[in-house]
Amino acid sequence: MDSKTNHTVPNSGKFWFALDNAAKIFPAIINENVTAVFRLTALLKQPVKIQPFRKAVLQAEKQFPFFRVQLREGFFWYYLEHLPQHIPVEPDEKPLCRKFPKGHLLVRIPVKSNSISVECSHILTDGSGAFEFFRTILILYSAECGAEIPGRYRITDTGNRISEEKYEDAYNRYFKAEIPPMVKRSKAFHLPYSLKTTPRFTRLNAIVSLKQTKEIAHIKGVSITVYLVSVYLFILQDIYENLNGFGRYKKQKKIRVQVPINLRSIFPSKTMRNFSLFVMPEIDLRLGHYTFDEIVKSVYHQMMLETDEKLINKNISRNVRSEMKLFIRGIPLFLKSLILRLKYYSLGTNQYSGVLTNLGKIDLPDETSRLIDCFIMTPPPPNKMLKISVGAAGFGNKLTLSFGNITHSQEFEEKFLRFLRHQNIPVEVITKD
Amino acid sequence: MTHCPNCGVEVEENANFCSLCGEPLLEKTADNVAFIKSGKLRREEKLLTDYQQLTGFQKRKIFWQISGLILISGIIITLLIDFAGSQSITWSKYPATVSLVLFVNFTLNTFLRKKIMLMVALSFLSVTSLFFLFDVFAGDTQWEIKPGIPIILVAYITVLVLVFLIRKAKQKGLNIIAYSMIAAGVLCICTEGMISVYTQGPVYFGWSLIVMGSVFFIAMLLLYVHYRLKKATDLKRFFHI
Repeated sequence: MDSKTNHTVPNSGKFWFALDNAAKIFPAIINENVTAVFRLTALLKQPVKIQPFRKAVLQAEKQFPFFRVQLREGFFWYYLEHLPQHIPVEPDEKPLCRKFPKGHLLVRIPVKSNSISVECSHILTDGSGAFEFFRTILILYSAECGAEIPGRYRITDTGNRISEEKYEDAYNRYFKAEIPPMVKRSKAFHLPYSLKTTPRFTRLNAIVSLKQTKEIAHIKGVSITVYLVSVYLFILQDIYENLNGFGRYKKQKKIRVQVPINLRSIFPSKTMRNFSLFVMPEIDLRLGHYTFDEIVKSVYHQMMLETDEKLINKNISRNVRSEMKLFIRGIPLFLKSLILRLKYYSLGTNQYSGVLTNLGKIDLPDETSRLIDCFIMTPPPPNKMLKISVGAAGFGNKLTLSFGNITHSQEFEEKFLRFLRHQNIPVEVITKD
Repeated sequence: MTHCPNCGVEVEENANFCSLCGEPLLEKTADNVAFIKSGKLRREEKLLTDYQQLTGFQKRKIFWQISGLILISGIIITLLIDFAGSQSITWSKYPATVSLVLFVNFTLNTFLRKKIMLMVALSFLSVTSLFFLFDVFAGDTQWEIKPGIPIILVAYITVLVLVFLIRKAKQKGLNIIAYSMIAAGVLCICTEGMISVYTQGPVYFGWSLIVMGSVFFIAMLLLYVHYRLKKATDLKRFFHI
């Protein structure tokens, strides 16, 4: 009855492990449109040298044997089983963030001209976990291209010894049984736009100046994430206020933005599987119009409060507790999936109006950085309720914003970028697809 | 170093093809761009011929039109020959009715694929009416009511269950053979039972039990091989709770 992940070790041939706590929801809700696949892209200054790149990928995947797995259905749960295939390096021609078919690996590496991407299913890991893999590839690639990598970043061949900590379910490690569960939140406002027909996922990438953004955020005394979340909330408020009377009457009056938090920075863990949680800063429109500065102040304090270690513990407990209960574990998989699918909207997306995920400032050895122009973090295609989501990644002086959108409207992106321009932050739209 | 004109990556100097996208690497000229464009089209076309590009429904519809043409012209021709020969419709009733029922079933298969229960029910109805018509043609012997329709009903149900089981099966292999054998055995038992009721009165099972016994034994063996031997080692991961 032990739900730790060390059933078998990746060192021992055909291994398998259970899905981590955060991944358990995804197999139940994934379809052609809601794929739970996110993409990390590095735009290089030069076209990719394909031969050295392939070598780098082959070396990197040896360090990440637990990424070479496929999703299988058990009787009670899904699980991940070793699939002895190489992680595919493929031309980047097909629609982005598309679903991984049955019986395939849950990672792919689309390459085109001067862009290298890693597409990864959330079943496998979160953005930080996937980025660790991506970083390894990039460092090895620069080494293959002849760069000398300083010792601190050097990736040594560990042979077959992969430490157990790298593929553990870290939620279980930090679960404390006696902590009371969370209360349910009320419904949140959702954007009013109409959906496109499938394939419906498009994105808009824009580069803004990291230096200027940082300066402006610092004047307000907050981090870049808090600043961007505040802009997000402000724009949502603006869209709400521009609705006509009836539209406004119908809509919920709380605006929340979900912000994934990398738990590795709070709890010491080396896991490469999912280990993140969400905080949801909110503003309540029933209290009247908020100015931007009011929003910044409120978001700052909410984020500080919610990222408190004790409160995070409470959230982990809520999530892990339910899967610990034996009667829940004993429900056959198909019923479980049905329940999860129903709960996904009512307990999940219902509660927030938008998602902003910030990968943070990316740290690479100079020798590797020299090859790279910027990074793009594309969040998974939003579902029909959420409609739009935003990913951010900082590298050098470039902060890249990636807006994933499934609607006919571009109003949100336009307003968001216009607002940044008004704040004297230079904005450059690089791709629209 | 050379660049692939299609996907833009840098490849080995002496390579003939791009190792990422598989396009041939010629000197980059205006022609070459056109060539690669056409190459892409060619590959897409090669992947799908006209017929393959059709959806399943379109393919079935074509089959339905052709078979309809053949069957209906067949019906008309046999009727005409029969009429020309004997000045009345005699033997041609049989092929004409069979063709008609065939055509009805093709139509059902073409248009009611999604509503499988309705399709099967209507198909069953058409075959029953075929039997009924035969009986009318042959002079009201009532054989179709006693053994004919029950046997055909059992056959329909067995096949339906079999199809359902095959669709449900995740790994298809020996288990499909086993299911089919058991279905055949069940069908034999029912057939013999109904024939014995029709010819002798009481229900009597003889040869069909022997068939069922042997078939059952082999089917169990196949199922054992399929599920247990393969899965025994995987049970722990399959049932992890």
